Amino acid sequence: MADRPLATIGRGEWVTLAALFVFAVALFFVPLGLLAKVGLTGGGVPSLDPLRDALASGSVRRATWNSLESATLSGFMALVVGTALALLIGLTDVRAKGAAVFALLLPMMIPPQVTAIAWVQALGPSSVVLSSLGLAPPPGSPHPLYSAFGVVLLLTVQHAPLVLLVALAGLRTLPREMTEAARVFGARPGRLLRRVILPLLAPVLAGAFMLAFVSALGNFGILAILGIPARYTTLPVLIWNRLSSFGPGALADVAVISMILAVISLAAIAVQFSLQRRMRNAVVGPPQPPLRIALGPMRPVAEAALALYVAATLLLPLTALAATALVATYGVPLNGDTITLENFREILFRQGATLRAFGNSTLAAGAAALLIAALSILIAHLATLRAAGLPRRFGSTMNAVADVSYAIPGLVISIAFILTFIRPLPVIGVSLYNTLWIIFLAYMTAFLSIGLKPVVAAYGQLDPALDDAARVSGARYGMRMRRVFAPLVAPAAASGAILVFLTAYNEVTVSSLLWSTGKETIGTSIFSYEDGGYTTLAAAMSCVTVVATVLLMVALDRMGRWLPSGVVPWRG
Amino acid sequence: MKSTLLTAALAVAMSTGAFAADVSGKLVLYTSQPNADAQRTVDAFKAEYPDVEVDWFRDGTTKVMAKLMAEFEAGAPQPDVLLIADTVTMEGLEAEGRLMAYPEADVSAYDPALMDAESHYFSTKLITTGIIYNTAANMVPTSYKDLLKSEAKGNIAMPSPLTSGAATIHMVSVTSHPDLGWDLYEGLAGQGANPQGGNGGVYKAVAGGEQLYGFVVDFLPIREQANGAPVAFVFPEEGVSAVTEPAAILSTAQNPDAAKAFIDFLISEKGQQLAADMGYLPAHPGVTPPEGFPARDEIKLLPFDPAAALTQDADNKKKFIEIFGG
Repeated sequence: MADRPLATIGRGEWVTLAALFVFAVALFFVPLGLLAKVGLTGGGVPSLDPLRDALASGSVRRATWNSLESATLSGFMALVVGTALALLIGLTDVRAKGAAVFALLLPMMIPPQVTAIAWVQALGPSSVVLSSLGLAPPPGSPHPLYSAFGVVLLLTVQHAPLVLLVALAGLRTLPREMTEAARVFGARPGRLLRRVILPLLAPVLAGAFMLAFVSALGNFGILAILGIPARYTTLPVLIWNRLSSFGPGALADVAVISMILAVISLAAIAVQFSLQRRMRNAVVGPPQPPLRIALGPMRPVAEAALALYVAATLLLPLTALAATALVATYGVPLNGDTITLENFREILFRQGATLRAFGNSTLAAGAAALLIAALSILIAHLATLRAAGLPRRFGSTMNAVADVSYAIPGLVISIAFILTFIRPLPVIGVSLYNTLWIIFLAYMTAFLSIGLKPVVAAYGQLDPALDDAARVSGARYGMRMRRVFAPLVAPAAASGAILVFLTAYNEVTVSSLLWSTGKETIGTSIFSYEDGGYTTLAAAMSCVTVVATVLLMVALDRMGRWLPSGVVPWRG
Repeated sequence: MKSTLLTAALAVAMSTGAFAADVSGKLVLYTSQPNADAQRTVDAFKAEYPDVEVDWFRDGTTKVMAKLMAEFEAGAPQPDVLLIADTVTMEGLEAEGRLMAYPEADVSAYDPALMDAESHYFSTKLITTGIIYNTAANMVPTSYKDLLKSEAKGNIAMPSPLTSGAATIHMVSVTSHPDLGWDLYEGLAGQGANPQGGNGGVYKAVAGGEQLYGFVVDFLPIREQANGAPVAFVFPEEGVSAVTEPAAILSTAQNPDAAKAFIDFLISEKGQQLAADMGYLPAHPGVTPPEGFPARDEIKLLPFDPAAALTQDADNKKKFIEIFGG
C-alpha cells in the first residue's frame, strides 16, 4: 500500500457505503435470508435436514442435472451464435448494420413465454406459415419442440442477443493499434481473428457466456411451455411443481431448491472471476469506430445469412403470434373469412386492465431502471476500488448477490418479498403490500445484475491516473464522483438502465404474486388470459406489447443521435 | 297455504334487506376464476351489497395458494374469502384450521355430497372433466375405454395430476370406478399418453391438432366450439368427474359479515344463474345449465370423497408416477 498513498478511502466512501448497506439489507439480505430461514428450519428449529432430503431426492437431482445441461449447452450455442453475429456486424462492411442489430435484439425483448408460445404455434400442425407452404405436420404428430433439443434451441435464440450486445460493446473497446499492426504485417482476416481479436475479446466473451448461462438457469417461460410436455424438468419448473402440490412443506421445498440454484450461480460467478483474472489484458482503450473489413464477393452471402437468421428468429414466431391474435378462437385457420380484430378490440377498449397494465409496467420498470443506474454507479465504484478493505468487499459482495437474485426464479423472489414486506414497515408503519411499490422494489432486486454488469466493466476500463489526478487537485469523494466518474461511466449506466427497463417491462414472474387489482403488469395480464384459456386474447396482448416495445426502442434510437456513443445499446 | 308462502317470502325479503344494509366495509377475495368471470362475480355482488368494497386477486389455484402460504408464513393472511378450483385443497386448509365454519348458510337445495358436512366450504359450480376430441379424428369416443382403441394410440393428451387439481380429482374418481380402475390409466400409458401441465395445455394441444383426444374440463371446448374451434366434448357413459369451485371464509377474516354475504350470494339462485350465464354448469340443481350442456339430470357424476382423496393423495400420486414416470 505504501506506493499507493493516494488510493485511500475517505469519509465520502464510508457515507455512501452506509447508505448502500441499508439498501442491500432491505432489498437483498432480508428477503433472501427469510427465504433461507424457511428452507432451513425443520419443525421450528434450524436444521440442514431439508437440504439433505432435497439433495437425496431423485427428482431434485434430475432437475439439477437438466438445469446444468440446458444452461451450459444453450450458453455455449448462444456464445457461438452471438459472437459470430457480433463479428459479422462489428468487423465487416455488411450494410444496414443499425437495422440488423435492432432486429437481432428484438427476440430478447419479447417475454420468453410469448416466444415459446409463438414457436410452438409456428412449428405445430396448425401453423399458419407452414400450412400455407404445405409443410405443416399432419394432425396428431408430436411437436418437434417438445424435447430437450427444443428447450436448448429456444434458450439459444432467447440469449444469443445478450452475447451479441456484450460482444459488440467489447469490440468497440478493442485497441485499433493491434489489429492495424497485424494487418500491416499481412495477417489475413482468419488469422487476425484467431490470433488477435478473439484472444483480446476472451474476457468479454467469458462474461457473455456467464450471462447467458445464468439467464438460462433462471428461465421459467420457455422451460414451462416446452419442458413440461417434454418431461424435461429443470429447477425453476420443479419449484413450480412443488408449489402446485401445496402441502404444508411446499414453501420450505421451494426455498431449498432456490438455494441449490443460488449455489450453482455463485459457483458460475466464481469460475467467471478466475477465468477473467487469468485472461485479463490491460490493453483497453476508449470506444472507437469499429473496423470495416471488406468482404468482397462474400458480402451478399453474409447479408443473406443475417437476413435468414432474422427471419427465423423474429418473423416466424411473430407471424404465428399475429395469426393467432387475428382469429376468433385457437385452432381456426386464418383466412379472409375468419380474420377478425375482435381480440384487439376486446383488450384495448373493453378491458380497462390492459391500459392500466401498460401504465403500471412503464412506471415500475422506468423507476427501477433509473434507480438501478444511479446505484450501479456507486456500487460498481466500490467494487472496483484499488484499496482493499470493507468498501471493496461490500462492492464485490453486492455484485455476486445481484447475480444470485437474478438467477433465482422471479416467482421465488416474489415469495421472499411477501415474507419481507407484508407487515407494515418499521418506523413509518405503512405496508407496501398490494401497492406498486413492492413490484418496483422487487424489480430492483431481480434486475440489479443487468444494470450493474456494464458499469463494473466501464470502471475497469478507466485509467487509474484520472482518480490520482483528481485527488492531487484536492477533489473529495463527492466531487470526484460528480465530475470524474459519473460522467465517464454514465453511458454504460444508461445502457444498463435501458436493458433493465426493457426486461422489467416484459417480465411475468416477479410480479406474479405481487400484483393486485389496479396494480396489474403487462406480463401478468398476458399470463392471466393464457391461463384462463383465452389464447387469442393473450396473443393479441402480446402483439400489442411487441409493438409498444418496438416503438419504445425506435424512440430511444431517435434520442440516441444526440447521446454519447454507447448509451443506446444497439447504436454503434 | 298461499299466505304462509307470502309471509315466508316477505320474511326472507326483509331479512336479506336488513342483512344487506348491515353489511359494509372492505372484502378481500382471492380467486382462481378467470379475470373476466371474477370481475362479473364481484360486480354482481356489489350490485346487491353496494356498501361493500371488494378487493380481489386472481391467479391459478397454484399461485393463489403460493401467495396465501407465504402470507400464512409471514403471519398476515389477507383474504376474507377464498374461491378456488377444488375441494381437496379446501380439505387441506380445513385440516390446518384455516377455515371458518358457516353452518347458517342455506344449502337445502343442494346435493349434500357437494357441500362440506362441517360447513367450512361451499361448492359453487360443477366443472366436469370428460373427453375432448378434435373434429378431424375418425373415432368419436363415448366411453373412457374407447381411448384404449388403436385409433387413439399416440394421440392422447391429458393434464398431469402433479400440476392440476382437476386432473388429480379426475384420476381419483376414474380409478375408483369398479369397471375402470387403475387398469384404465395403465392402458392409457400403454397408448403413449403423456400427462403434461394443466387443462389449458391439453385444450390447445387438441384444438391445435397436435393430439386428437384428451381429458379436459367441459367449459373450454363447449365455449370455444361455439366460436368455431375444431373440437367437441363428450360426457362419457361411465360419468364425469367434477371440481366444484368451492368458496370458503378464512378463520382470520377481517370482515366475516361481508364474507358470509358473499357466500350467500354465490349459492343463491341469482348467483347460480350468474355462473350459468358465464358458461358454467351451476351446482344448484334448479338452475338451467347454459347452452351446449346437457340437462343437469342427464349428467352422471362419478362419486368422489375429498377427505379420503386428501389422505390418499401421496399414495395416488406415487402410483401415478409409477405408471407414467415422473
